[in-house]
Amino acid sequence: MINLNVIHSLWVRNLKAFIRNKPALVINLVFPFFFIFVFGEVFKLGEIESAEAYALAGIIMATVFDSSMRISSSTIDDISSGFMKEVLVSPVSRLSIAIGQFASSATVAATQGLIIFGVGFFIGVRITTPLTIVYVIAAMIFTGLIFAGFGLLLATKSKNIQTFQAVTMAITMPMTFLSGAYLPLSMLNPALATVSYFNPLTYAVVFFRTIALEKTNLPPEVLVSERVSFEIGSFIVTPLMSALILLLLGAVFISLATITFVNVDFSRINRNKNDSMMEDI
Amino acid sequence: MSHSCRKDKGKSLKENPPVEWENEFMWRIRAERARVKMNPIIEVKGFTKKYGDFAAVKNISFTVDEGSVFAFLGPNGAGKSTTINTLCTIFDKTEGELFIAGKNAHTQKNQVRSAIGVVFQDSTLDKKMTVEENLKMHCVFYKVPKNEVEERITFVLTLVDLLGWRKKTVSALSGGMKRRVEIARGLIHYPKVLFLDEPTTGLDPQTRAHVWEYIFRLQKEKNITIFLTTHYMDEAENCDKVAIMDHGKIIAYDTPFALKKQYTKDRAYITVANPAAFEQSLNREGINYIKKENYHRIDVDDNAKLLQVLAECKDGIKDIEIRKGTLNDVFLEITGREIRDTDNETKTQETQKKQKIKRGRK
Repeated sequence: MINLNVIHSLWVRNLKAFIRNKPALVINLVFPFFFIFVFGEVFKLGEIESAEAYALAGIIMATVFDSSMRISSSTIDDISSGFMKEVLVSPVSRLSIAIGQFASSATVAATQGLIIFGVGFFIGVRITTPLTIVYVIAAMIFTGLIFAGFGLLLATKSKNIQTFQAVTMAITMPMTFLSGAYLPLSMLNPALATVSYFNPLTYAVVFFRTIALEKTNLPPEVLVSERVSFEIGSFIVTPLMSALILLLLGAVFISLATITFVNVDFSRINRNKNDSMMEDI
Repeated sequence: MSHSCRKDKGKSLKENPPVEWENEFMWRIRAERARVKMNPIIEVKGFTKKYGDFAAVKNISFTVDEGSVFAFLGPNGAGKSTTINTLCTIFDKTEGELFIAGKNAHTQKNQVRSAIGVVFQDSTLDKKMTVEENLKMHCVFYKVPKNEVEERITFVLTLVDLLGWRKKTVSALSGGMKRRVEIARGLIHYPKVLFLDEPTTGLDPQTRAHVWEYIFRLQKEKNITIFLTTHYMDEAENCDKVAIMDHGKIIAYDTPFALKKQYTKDRAYITVANPAAFEQSLNREGINYIKKENYHRIDVDDNAKLLQVLAECKDGIKDIEIRKGTLNDVFLEITGREIRDTDNETKTQETQKKQKIKRGRK
């Protein structure tokens, strides 16, 4: 059922496609720095110590989110360019294809995140143990996989490239801004803060900040006061809870995406140029 | 054989023999070969495909012999693509049984997929990747042994004359080259059957001719069964067997030669020095003719009779043009309408014929 060669080939192929798209590559790498500059200032206003590091961790998560979604959803490009038809008519299981997509998304996302993390050292981020790097990478891959699942789900559900672009815009923008990645949650008004509690990215950001800022040993109250963690009412969401919530959401996204992808009838998905199925008969 | 007799007569009178004669010769070779082995590799029994209430294909049955070139002809919307897509396991059947190389296209999808190569109407190449990367990816999908990959890439690219383009990105290739890459890719896992859905649509005439050259070369060299759909009549003439589809049904199924023989008549345009004597001979033999300004048009029912008349008047004959029936005529004869919605091509050919006649009259 699962063919490792196929997964590997698709993984390599998606990485190549990512690297070969030079303009997108540059934009993807440069944009986060712009965010560090702008939102670092915002976090200083929020009376947070080491605002740069705090902002950086959030931006890394936002980048991982955006990047894994984007790569995973490149499936929609493959569908509209016709390549997916070649894949589907071959004796390869769709499960292998889905896994290949997840793996490449997580890889690209983690790589991008790591580059930004590396740059963090130049703007004053310090880590006390090299083990943190390992945790950071693991956390990025973990969150990358979750959002890759989310991206593939969106791609297979939206059926054509225009709908898909509109849908991703409508979903990713609010998700990033209501996650505490760019703006501290404490700065949001109560209504928006409530919305952010339902945002998976919020938990990813909390989880990741705790790891990246090496605050895993601090008690929850301190985390809240340092704005790493947050309270819903008087209930403190600890980083561990965030991780569990993420794990649960990840399991849901990935299995839903896989099931949808395995069962979707691609013959009914419109391709570019509006050539509908009926014309094809 | 009255047919060959007439042709020889025509040939000696014509400077440039039409392509059909050569094709007929090819057909005989194939017919000979077909007699030797007649294993059906594709079997379709009572296949029906419905989209909601609309039946795109209505209860069709046919077989395709191993190693032959089989063409599905018909206007757009006749059900050709639906049938090909169902055989390729992309669509599910509504009713009926479809077998490829003994495997059921509904229940043994992966076995069927391994046994076939498909070139779709629209490009399914990975445009961001190079030609080589596309082929290698395909080899992984179809589990081609790793030590054979290099050799096979060289082989298929040589077959379609694209060896020098191996490292080029697909998006940099022309439309005809892309199609050739797709054909090469469809072959690299040595399929038993190669499906070509409108392989030459959208290509210029020269590239079309090349693509055909590759298809026949490969069929000869590898003895692969080729199943294609087309709405170009002239392309179907070269195939071993033709099924003509219309409104979801197969309305005719035979060799192009047999179909033409059954449904069409050859038409002779003859210019003579002495029309009166010629007409007298025609009347005596009971041959109907239509007299035009400078030539006589005859729908040939009986070759022998016409030959006799021609033999009598042979000194006075200035020009003979024989227009053989085409598959388009077959379609016209069966359905009462042209096969193509936009039959520019056919019209151009007609015009060319007329011009030839005019030239002959000078």
